[in-house]
Formats: sequence, structure tokens, C-alpha cells
Amino acid sequence: MKKKITVALAGNPNAGKTTIFNALTGARQHVGNWPGVTVEKKEGTLKHNGREIHIVDLPGTYSLTAFSLEEIIARNFIVDSAPDLVVNVVDASNLERNLYLSVQLMEMGCKLVLAFNMIDVARGRGIAIDEAHFSNLIGVPIIPTNGKKGAGLESLLEAIVSEVDKPQPSEDLTRLTYGSEVEDELLKIQNLLLQSGFSSEGINTRWVSAKLIEGDTEIVKKIGSLEHRPKILEQVAKSRSHLTNIFGDSPEIVLADARYGFISGAIKQTVQIERTDRVNLSESIDKILTNRLLGPLILLLVLYCVYIFTFNGSAPLVKYFDSFFSWLGDIVSKILPEGLLKSLIVSGMIKGVGGVLGFTPLIAFMFFAIAILEDTGYMARIAFMLDRVLRGFGLHGASMLALMVAGGIAGGCAVPGIMATRTMKEPKERLVTILVAPLMNCGAKLPVYALLIGAFFPGDRASIMFLLTIISWIMVLLAGRAIRSTVLSGPSAPFVLELPPYRVPTFQGLVIHTWERTWMYLKKAGTVILAVSILIWVLMTFPGPSPEQKAFFEEKQDKLTSNFLNDPAVGLVLKNQQDLKSFEDLQSAEGKDSLQIAAPLASKYTQYKEDKLRLENDEQSLKLKNTVAGRIGTYLVWVFKPIGFDWKTNVALLGGFAAKEVVVSTLGTAYSMGSVEREQYPSLSEQLKHEPGWNPLMAFTLIMFVMLYAPCVVTLVVIKRETGKWRWMLFAMVYTTVLAYFVAFIVKTTGTLLGIGLT
Amino acid sequence: MSPTVSQIKCLNCVSLVDHKCLVEKTVKLSNYKPGQRGKIVEICGDPDFRLRLMEMGFIRGTEIQVVKYAPLNDPMEFVVKGYHITLRKKQAAHILMDEPELAA
Repeated sequence: MKKKITVALAGNPNAGKTTIFNALTGARQHVGNWPGVTVEKKEGTLKHNGREIHIVDLPGTYSLTAFSLEEIIARNFIVDSAPDLVVNVVDASNLERNLYLSVQLMEMGCKLVLAFNMIDVARGRGIAIDEAHFSNLIGVPIIPTNGKKGAGLESLLEAIVSEVDKPQPSEDLTRLTYGSEVEDELLKIQNLLLQSGFSSEGINTRWVSAKLIEGDTEIVKKIGSLEHRPKILEQVAKSRSHLTNIFGDSPEIVLADARYGFISGAIKQTVQIERTDRVNLSESIDKILTNRLLGPLILLLVLYCVYIFTFNGSAPLVKYFDSFFSWLGDIVSKILPEGLLKSLIVSGMIKGVGGVLGFTPLIAFMFFAIAILEDTGYMARIAFMLDRVLRGFGLHGASMLALMVAGGIAGGCAVPGIMATRTMKEPKERLVTILVAPLMNCGAKLPVYALLIGAFFPGDRASIMFLLTIISWIMVLLAGRAIRSTVLSGPSAPFVLELPPYRVPTFQGLVIHTWERTWMYLKKAGTVILAVSILIWVLMTFPGPSPEQKAFFEEKQDKLTSNFLNDPAVGLVLKNQQDLKSFEDLQSAEGKDSLQIAAPLASKYTQYKEDKLRLENDEQSLKLKNTVAGRIGTYLVWVFKPIGFDWKTNVALLGGFAAKEVVVSTLGTAYSMGSVEREQYPSLSEQLKHEPGWNPLMAFTLIMFVMLYAPCVVTLVVIKRETGKWRWMLFAMVYTTVLAYFVAFIVKTTGTLLGIGLT
Repeated sequence: MSPTVSQIKCLNCVSLVDHKCLVEKTVKLSNYKPGQRGKIVEICGDPDFRLRLMEMGFIRGTEIQVVKYAPLNDPMEFVVKGYHITLRKKQAAHILMDEPELAA
């Protein structure tokens, strides 16, 4: 009796697989990636009667052909990792199509339990299933379940354990037969495989033979090392052409037909459908939500609500997080002595990481909203309604999902977005989607927007965000169109998309979804951002000012002070440096202008203070300009002159190349280090408002540039991996930056000419 | 007017012998109106596409009902084997149907 049982969870998308997984494992989940690929792998464990059951959630698939990466992953896991058992979650209200996958699992020869999920929905629709009879017919245990309510899960676990404890049957128990013509050919190939010693690898040879006859390229790779490989392949080719001649159709179609024949045979004997005239609720909802006129309006409304929810809903929490980090900065400032270490921790680490982590609530709210859209089934309707539009721009209905994830509703991430394109079969549309996805408003750009919007457009947060989303969509579409009609021209691909019934999402599911994605964001912020913050701090601190520079400024400072003291109006009250010092202390202690001082002295003093401030600003600037980052930024000023970015912004944009949210942290570091007025303005957005050269137009120009310019390093790495070509990565980097420069230039020039947003 | 066989391009089709779209009078699914339903006679196109459709339940003899067209008239939504799926009109034109009847 095995103590530890490994179970793979397979099933169609929308069959309720995730609900079952969540209900079984609860919070004991671990999310990672499948080895070598970037598809999400979820695992979880639970205890049942002292047995440890380890559940691996396979990607949702309709089939196990080598059609998509998900299918290959699911299949390879079953073959290579040999789980003790596979639980196939089947949508009981949609048996025929769902069972197509089950039949393929049966063919693979693994131990199998079927969970007839959403049995309540099926019964509600007048579908009566004789599970016991069904189970007998196909030779696999069937457990009716209701994942949402948790019904049937106990019996499911019982069935898992009792199946695992059964000895592996010595002979093939497949009830599915393909008819004598196909069976003869299968046998020929199977015998050749057995002669080659293939059975020793623990894979069902009948299944392998069937796959070979279907012309499955992945399986051909699997037999790559066999001794009789050429002989086997020769037989496969012979069988394929033989079957094609007999059936007048390609063998994979013949086999698929036979599987459906087997399924409908079993269903006829065991399932009774009373045709009810009851109106299907989901269809009624769809009559409104995808209505020709109302549908698009509701779509816009829904997207707008997502913003309101995300931004306004999270605002109090964001404020709370922000004040936590400034409190932390203050505390550390007070404890640590003046010097490099304090500068590193406060300016480098707390400001840098805090600037990004402060937005965590906003990101979490956004993920929650996206989870609602996905789990209710509305996301698929968005693709349905927008496919016609997307296609016109060289994209695809399935691009919708990728673009959404990448930030179609602001707050995604280009990395999973690009990975989501793996569901797209057609290479061209997929490539275009990959190339334009980084233009979307990913979660990392949000802190930059939030900072600038907060500083310069405080009254219209939601509407500016809405505008930015529209702009990024326009950019994505235009770029898609341009790429598709130049670099990547050619015909468009099929669009096969299921519209799942509307469902009320479970709160647990929503929370798990939100948490997983937010956690990924936090992990990135905690590691990459910390490292980048420190690196940027180093670049912005070293090399320090030269001794000559130091001496120069000290001398100037002394001269300024002595000039002030030598003034007759001042000299009467303040005799020396000591007097000045105590006077200044008094001033700052009591607050500005609280002391009644003689008018001439007051004006002189104000003048002196201003001169001194200017001098200190100059010194700080010169100091920063002298550093590595300052030098690069200064050099770039020449390049960015037409759009008016100062060197601090340039440094921030350089940092943003590592990860977009770093723009905020770098601006924070740059301004907290480069300005002596930092005591005056507690938050960066307050500070920016008072910096010379900053106005709403400047802020909007920067927003546009950040939206469009080169994707972050991680995204570029993913682009390289997904396209397999360095040149696409370079292309993505160059075209986006050129586009960004161009758009920012237009915004800046138009704004300046029309005099918009200058104050 | 229902389009006949000769109008249908079937260049990629592997099926050569006994191919029903060459002998029977069929209607393209893309010509069905919302609310109409009928049975699949044949699916044309390259084997990958046909197999994908079969895996989604589009099998010869299966009943399909057109639910609606998307707001911009494309893609189309169908009910196949009790679930809802969408295809672009261009792909739906690869699915050859018998004469449509109005759903109850």
C-alpha cells in the first residue's frame, strides 16, 4: 500500500477543474512552472485516512493531441511522471465533448477516475445519468461531484485510494475498439514496438501505435532512440496510406470519429435527457450582454467599473502602505548616523522598494477584478465581441486574452501575456501579439502613472487612467496592423473559442487567483527591484565629487555667508557665524517668519536663504551629474532635448529598462538625493509638483513615453524564448522605443504649441 | 438560395474518395441565420483544423444551432452538443450543413 499517492487532475477548460482542485487542496497549494516551459503548474497536497495525496493540476485541454503546448504538457506528465492515478473532471452537463478527453486518457492505459462535475447543473437541465451503468460500460469508476458545494469530494477521495490500491491489470482492458481495419494496423505497429523492447519504458504500446497512426509528431520524437525506428516508421506510413485509401479520410479523423462513436454509444444507453422548455439562465444573460447594441456599451461600462474599483477601491490601502514606508524611512533615518550606509538604506532600499510595494493593494484589487471577469465567463464574451475589431488589425480573438493579461485592463504583465499566446496555433498572429503586448499598461507601469497622475491630475485619476487604456489599445492595434502588413504579412488564423455558461465565482477561487498573481508581483518587487534599487543607488552615488569641486563649493558658501554678515543691515543684529547659527535654529524651530524681525533684516535674510538654497541645489546636482548614472543621463539629455526630459528623468528611464516600476523608485532616489528641499515635501509626487520644468504636459509626455518605450529586461528575455529569435527581441526593443520617442515628441510639441498643460 | 458544392473551395481537404461535399447538396454553416439549426454533413479544410473542430464536438451528423452573430456580424455563436462555441464566418464556411430548419 502506497503511503504517498500522486494524482494528476485533467479536464476540459471550464469543466470546473480549478474549483475541484481548490476544494480538495484549499490553501495548501504551490504554484510554479512546468520544467523548461512557462505554463503555470499548480500542485497541492491533502491527507485522507492517513494517506498523503499529492495533486498535480494539469493544464485544461480538450484533447491530448499535440495540438497545443498545454496538451503536450498534460500528456507528457502522464507518460513521463507516471502518476498513480488520473482524475478526469468532466462537465456532466456537457458529457459528449468532455468524454472525448476521457476516452483518450483511457487509451493511455493509466488508472482513471471520472468526476462528473457540476452534476447539479446537469440535473437541473433535465439530464439524468445512470452513473453505475455508465461506469460498467466504460470500465472506469465515476463519481458525481459538485465542486462548488464540495459535494462528492469524499467519495472521490475514497475512489482514488481504492483504485490506487488495486493491482495494475496485466492485460489491456480498453473497451474502445476502432473496427477491424484500424485494429489490424494498430496490431502491426504494436508488434514492431514490442520487438524493439518499447514496453519496457512503461508506456501503453497500443496508445503509442494509435498516436503514430494519427501522425503525431511528438510521439515520433519519443521513439527516436528505438532500434527498429526506420522499420516502425515505414510501417506507420504504410498503415496511414492504407487507412486513407479505405476510409477516404485521414486516419486521425477516422480515429476521432470512432472515439465519438464509442462515447455516443455509451451515452445513449445511460443518459436520459428530458427536453425541458425551461429558459436557460446563461443564455438569457447573454441575450443582453452580447446584444448587438447593448453588448459593446456594457463592455465599456464594465471596463470602466474595473478602474473605479481598482483605483478608488484601493486608494485608502495605498495611502496606508505609503505612510508605512515613509514612517519606516523616518525611523531608520533617525537611528542611523549620517553617511553612506544611511543613504543606501533610506534612499536606495526603502524608497526604492517602498515605492513599488506601496502599490501592492492597487495591483491586488486589479487582479481581483480580472479574476471576477475570468471566473464569471465574461472574458470569453469580450473576445467574442471584439474579434472582428482585432482581426482588422492583424490580431486574433485569442490575442484578446494575451493582451488582457498583458494589461488590456491596466494592471497585467507582459510576461504572462506573452506566455498566454502559446494557446495560439497560428504563428503569425501569435508573433504579432507577442510584439505588441508590451505596449499595454502592465502593472509595473501603473506606479509610474499613479505617481504622475497623483501629482499633476489629482482630480481625474479614473478618467486619465481610462484615457491611457484607450491610448494603449490604439497603439497596440496600430502597431499590430503595421507589423502585420509589413514584417509579417499573410492570411489570418482560425478562431475557435468556447463561451462557457455564466457562473457565480466562488470567493475562495477569486481569493486564490488574486493571491497567486499578487504574490508573483511581490516576489518580483522583493528581489529584482531590490537589486535594481541598490544598483541604481550605486550608479547614482559613485564616483563622488572631486576634492576640487568640494573646495570650490565650500569657498563659495563661505563667501556667501561672509557677504551676508558684512551687510550693514545684518551686521547690527548678527555679529558672527555663531549668531547666524542660533538665529537659523530659532527660525526653523519656531517655523517660518514666526520671529518678528526688522524689515531690512528680513528681506536680506530671505535673499540669503534663497542664494544658499540655489548654491546647495547646484552642488547636489553637480555631485549627481558626476556619478555614472548622471553622466549617462546628461549625455542622453542631448537625445531627449526635443521632448524635454531632464537628466534625472533619463536616469529613471534607464532604470525602467530593468523593470518599469523602477522608474518610480529611481525618480524617488534621484529627487531625494538631488534636492535639498526634501524635508519640505514628504512624498515624491508633492516634490515633483514643485520641481522646475515639471508641469502637466511634461507629466503626460513622460507617461506616454513610459507606456511605449522598450519592454523591460524580463519581457525581452521571454520574447527571445517564445519566438526563438534574437532578432525579434531586438525588433521589439527598437520599434517600441522609436514609437515612444515619436509619440512623446508629438504630445510635447502639440501641447506646447496649443499651450495646454503648461501650468 | 443555398450555395451548392461547386462553389466551395476544398483545396486542402484530404478526403478524396466518397467526399460528401462533392455529391450532396449542402449549405455552408456561415449562411445559417440566428435561430436556425441543422446537421453537419462534412467538414472541409486541412486535417489540423478539422481535427480541432472534431475535438470540440463538430462531428458529421451533429446538430448545430446558430445562436447569434457578434455585434459586428462576425464571429458567430453556436450551440454544439449542448455548449456554446464561436467561430469566424470564414471558418464556419468550411462546415457543410444540410438544409436549415427553424429551432423550436
